[in-house]
Amino acid sequence: MTHGDEPIGRRVVKALVHDARIENVLAVGEGSAPRAFDRFIAETPGRFAYGRLDLAKHRSCVDFFHSRRFRDARIDTLVHVPRHAARVAGPPVVSGLPVRTAEARLVLQHALEAASIRNLVALGSAFVYRLTPGNSNRLSEASELNLDPAIPGEVRSWIDCDMIFHGEAGGGRLRVALLRVPTVVTSGGYVYWNPSLAGPPGPRPRPIGFDPMCALICDKDVAKAVQAAVHSNGSGSFNVAGYESVPLSVLGSWTGRPGVPVPGPALQLVSTAARWLGQESLRSALDGAELRYGFTLDTRRAERELGFHPHYHVGLARAGDGRLRLETSPA
Amino acid sequence: MSPAIPPDVLWLDGMPDEAVVLPTGEPARALGCDPFAADPLPDPFTERLLRDVPSHTPRAPVQAAPPAVPVREAETVSDGREAEVDSTRPGIDRLPDRERRRRWVRTPRIDEVELPDASSLTERLLDGDLRRRLAALTHLSEGGAPYDRYGFSPVAIQAAFPYFHALYRLYFRVRSEGHDRLPTEGPAVLASNHGGLLPFDGAMTVVDVLLHSDPPRLPRAVVDHWAGTLPFVNVFYAWVGQVIGTRENVMDLLDDGQLVLVFPEGMDGVRKRVTQRNRVQRFRVGFVEAALRSRAPIVPMAVVGADNQAPILFDLSTLARRLSLPFFPITPTFPWFGPLGLLPYPVRYRIVYGEPLPYHERFGPEGADDPQLVRYLANQVRREIQTLVDRHR
Repeated sequence: MTHGDEPIGRRVVKALVHDARIENVLAVGEGSAPRAFDRFIAETPGRFAYGRLDLAKHRSCVDFFHSRRFRDARIDTLVHVPRHAARVAGPPVVSGLPVRTAEARLVLQHALEAASIRNLVALGSAFVYRLTPGNSNRLSEASELNLDPAIPGEVRSWIDCDMIFHGEAGGGRLRVALLRVPTVVTSGGYVYWNPSLAGPPGPRPRPIGFDPMCALICDKDVAKAVQAAVHSNGSGSFNVAGYESVPLSVLGSWTGRPGVPVPGPALQLVSTAARWLGQESLRSALDGAELRYGFTLDTRRAERELGFHPHYHVGLARAGDGRLRLETSPA
Repeated sequence: MSPAIPPDVLWLDGMPDEAVVLPTGEPARALGCDPFAADPLPDPFTERLLRDVPSHTPRAPVQAAPPAVPVREAETVSDGREAEVDSTRPGIDRLPDRERRRRWVRTPRIDEVELPDASSLTERLLDGDLRRRLAALTHLSEGGAPYDRYGFSPVAIQAAFPYFHALYRLYFRVRSEGHDRLPTEGPAVLASNHGGLLPFDGAMTVVDVLLHSDPPRLPRAVVDHWAGTLPFVNVFYAWVGQVIGTRENVMDLLDDGQLVLVFPEGMDGVRKRVTQRNRVQRFRVGFVEAALRSRAPIVPMAVVGADNQAPILFDLSTLARRLSLPFFPITPTFPWFGPLGLLPYPVRYRIVYGEPLPYHERFGPEGADDPQLVRYLANQVRREIQTLVDRHR
């Protein structure tokens, strides 16, 4: 399991460790082991292990995939959780590629080379689809990807990862299941993998007169989807999403990122300036298509072939300090 | 038009060899060939279609509503509802993608709805029956959520309805007939002609269906992609239940058992000149494909009067392209009076619903894979609508 130290990765690790059908879990991440793993490491030393690994570096990947620890664990399924958007910021390029894309390439390459690995489950983003005008459009796995060369780098890296994994889905060496997830939310009002809500809480400019619908999934359901993909024989790309879809303005207020309506032409001007200045991360936050056009996901293929059904509802709840905040609750 | 062809000819797609002579002296319900007639006209094209397309055993003709009761329930799908498989429908064993049917979205009958309190001044203008109808629409969003997945907001439509109802009664003075032909439940495609610069014909149709159906049904009008790019307009459209015309949207709504209102002429109907009024323009065919795949009947309907609400004298297409607009009309009042010139004249509307066309029973979902058949059926629907317009204008 890659990026086990990040929020989504931690949740997936917990789900896999608690799954009695899984013999060993080997998690890797850039940082040190999260404290949440202490109990797993202490209680199940032979079943769970965590290692530090920079997935974007070829040498460290070679060292890991050829290590005795990896060989002895007899790993047959590799779960790739992509890097969090906030971590993509900084020096974004490794060997001319965004970090997320470079990691995807190396993960796939080593999964193909490792003799024991038979399955690859990768998490991807549903923001890879071309968004057609409209407050909300239904998207299926057959919908068109956004191959516009002018899209912001953040979305581009998701699309590149998607195509890297999807290209191998038809091959005979690996069973590749690519899960396309929409905006991921967690209890407490945290939000991940939405290009327009990335970064710390605070007001966000958004074009006036637009309020697109956002499909949601909670982190626990993401972990459930990964579990379902690990145990199924499904191959290809699968849309997974939760029950709820809410307007972007509502999601912003729930997650501490309220929208500040700004005329669209003004946003486009600033976005163009940001592009000239090389501030790619600003572009998707200012002028991304997801700020204007929304989508919901047709998840029937994942239900049919993976047996995935969402288990959690997302809504507002009053916290202990009396404040309203986003919470998830079992369905 | 060639002098050899009689004047009462409907031109299809501007191709003289497709022209079909109007049957005269008989109460024909459509122009051209009716594939469901007991003794169809000897049309070689129809014969070839029926020979080539794998057809199902035809069932008894549908009188009004399609058979709507699913017979067995299957599995649970993502939204927690139980899926249904209607085994009475033909060809289901050959449809792996469509074999899992979702539970249809239903609204309760009016007498089952508790009369809500009138919370605002505008709601107090509505009588109890209308308030019950609007309250029934809250069942369209799952679990009473404030939005459905397309952004439809029952609260928003309750706020907007009194204004559109006033337009319906006082401004356009709508008269309508044939409501008994609207399916009371299950998926159906309402196919209408389009005209009048601003889409008040769609709005009045939505109000009319809502007023005359029990259980109350909200037609989900399919709008052009361009509307989705307009600030505020796209949000308002979504709030009142309209969706952008993509294949996935239409199929998804039909799978939900909803009523989908389409304008197959698209923008061609809106921008047609005054000389073309009451002439149904070339049809897009996607709605036929969606209806066949979803096993939904097509209900042709005509809105007569919309073409007179803003007669377009010229369309400055060059200027429209420069302004990124679909067209730039010149009417007696626009652009001379500014945006106010776009407002419709107070013409009387007449809305007529035709007999449902159960093409799905005859040709099955496999028929959607044959582009020639789909085009042919679209032309049949167009003829039905043109007949309705000609009869009631």
